[in-house]
Amino acid sequence: MSSDFEAYEQDFGTLTAEITNKIGRIPKLGGEEKTQLVLNVDKQLEEVRELMEQMDLEVREIPIQSRGMYQNRLKSYKGEMEKLEKDFKRSRIAYSDEVRNELLGEDAGSSESQLIKLREERAHLLDNTEKLERSSRRLEAGYQIAVETEQVGQEILANLHTDREKIQRSRDRLRETDANLGKSSRILTGMLRSFTNTPPQLSPIYVSLLSLLSMSLSYLCLSAISPIYVSLLTLLSMSLS
Amino acid sequence: MDTSGKEKEAMQLMAEADKKVKSSGSHSFSNWFYRVRSLTERCVCTGSRRGDGSLFRMTLNAIQSKMKDACEMYARAANMFKMAKNWTAAGNAFCQGARLHMQLQNKLDSATSFVDAGNAYKKADPQEAINCLNAAIDIYTDMGRFTIAAKHHITIAEVYESELVDIEKAIAHYEQAADYYKGEESNSSANKCLLKVGHYSAQLEQYPKAIEIYEQVATNTMDNPLLKYNAKEYFFKASLCHFIVDELNAKLAIEKYEEMFPAFADSRECKLLKKLLDAHEEQNCEAFTEAVKEFDSISRLDQWLTTMLLRIKKTIQGDAGDLK
Repeated sequence: MSSDFEAYEQDFGTLTAEITNKIGRIPKLGGEEKTQLVLNVDKQLEEVRELMEQMDLEVREIPIQSRGMYQNRLKSYKGEMEKLEKDFKRSRIAYSDEVRNELLGEDAGSSESQLIKLREERAHLLDNTEKLERSSRRLEAGYQIAVETEQVGQEILANLHTDREKIQRSRDRLRETDANLGKSSRILTGMLRSFTNTPPQLSPIYVSLLSLLSMSLSYLCLSAISPIYVSLLTLLSMSLS
Repeated sequence: MDTSGKEKEAMQLMAEADKKVKSSGSHSFSNWFYRVRSLTERCVCTGSRRGDGSLFRMTLNAIQSKMKDACEMYARAANMFKMAKNWTAAGNAFCQGARLHMQLQNKLDSATSFVDAGNAYKKADPQEAINCLNAAIDIYTDMGRFTIAAKHHITIAEVYESELVDIEKAIAHYEQAADYYKGEESNSSANKCLLKVGHYSAQLEQYPKAIEIYEQVATNTMDNPLLKYNAKEYFFKASLCHFIVDELNAKLAIEKYEEMFPAFADSRECKLLKKLLDAHEEQNCEAFTEAVKEFDSISRLDQWLTTMLLRIKKTIQGDAGDLK
């Protein structure tokens, strides 16, 4: 008797496992497969009910003393079966991603792959934003450097202008000096000529002075000479002639 | 280098030179024989030869050569003091050498010695340096060498700027230097000095003067292809000075400058000015600060600019306070 009951229990166990499995699968499928599965589960539920009835009869034939345990077990099995039925009913009207996908016409991507895609896109966008920020920072630094370069350039140009004026002035002064030196050399040659023409009644000091002057001409080519000196020379020559 | 040894040597040279000067006669004596010397020169020029003339000349030459030796010794002593880093003594020696040169009528040598004295004193006693440099400048202006005189005016002004902080005198010297440079047609150097004058007068709140200077310099540099990149900076400074005085002035001024110099309108400075004008009209302190911060982030504001902008900001806050 009890072995029969145990055999019924085992059958019950396998059946409920199968039913749970199928119930889990039902929401994900759709259409033909779903109706087939639903029929399957229906049939299995019928079998389970029959098993339950047979178990009931078995338990009644057991003497009252050891009936308690079996009755408890039977109660728990009944509860399980009711739960399965409820689940079954719920699964038939369950809202699944499949249905949503069919509605929105997307391809057969599960919610997980979509999440992955979203995450990837987000990372990509963050990367781009970072790159943009880096570039704008670099641009700003470049602009600062350009402005600084412009300021440095301004200073250099101003310095160049000053130097240009200085060089121009020095060149003019040099040309003046050159002209003066030419004049003084002409005066000296004039002096020498008048010197050699008239008989020299002059003291040796003048001779030494003249030779000194002609020597100093070459020295003065390097140093500055003022027009005052040239006028002095003319005075001297006038005094001699 | 054995500095103490150099110092002793220098002191010895100075003593010797002093002795030579004294032996060639006191000051009154040197004046007397100067008159004698000019007399003998005139005798020489008219061609008359006299025995005592030559005698005079010989004594004169002897005295003169002694003075020349003394001058040289003073210079050597001063150089040795410089090596020993005894700047006051070096300056002193140079000064004495310069005075001797003046007596010998060597103006150029005297002026150069005064300049050397000024350089030596710069490191020790600024006031003495300024005195020496002033003496040198007098000699140079006497000779007609205005460029060099201007350069020394600038040196003096720099001493006033840095060591004896006397901005008014510095301004005076810079102005003098600018005038001399203008006289010698070196407009670039003149502009440099004028800019400094403007800089300091604006700091001392002499705004009309500063405005005039900056406008003048800006119009001068506007046309020159080398310097036109500086012109916008000068216009900016002029407008800031206008701004401190009166806002309406600033607006008119900016319009005038834009007309004169179109490139000014594109510059960041002009944009900043317009923003500041708007902020001032609305009495909006934060907008003002923000505009200034933005400008600062790109090119840092220097001390003069920050002072001026702060003064303008205070006028805004002052007005806002009055309204309350």
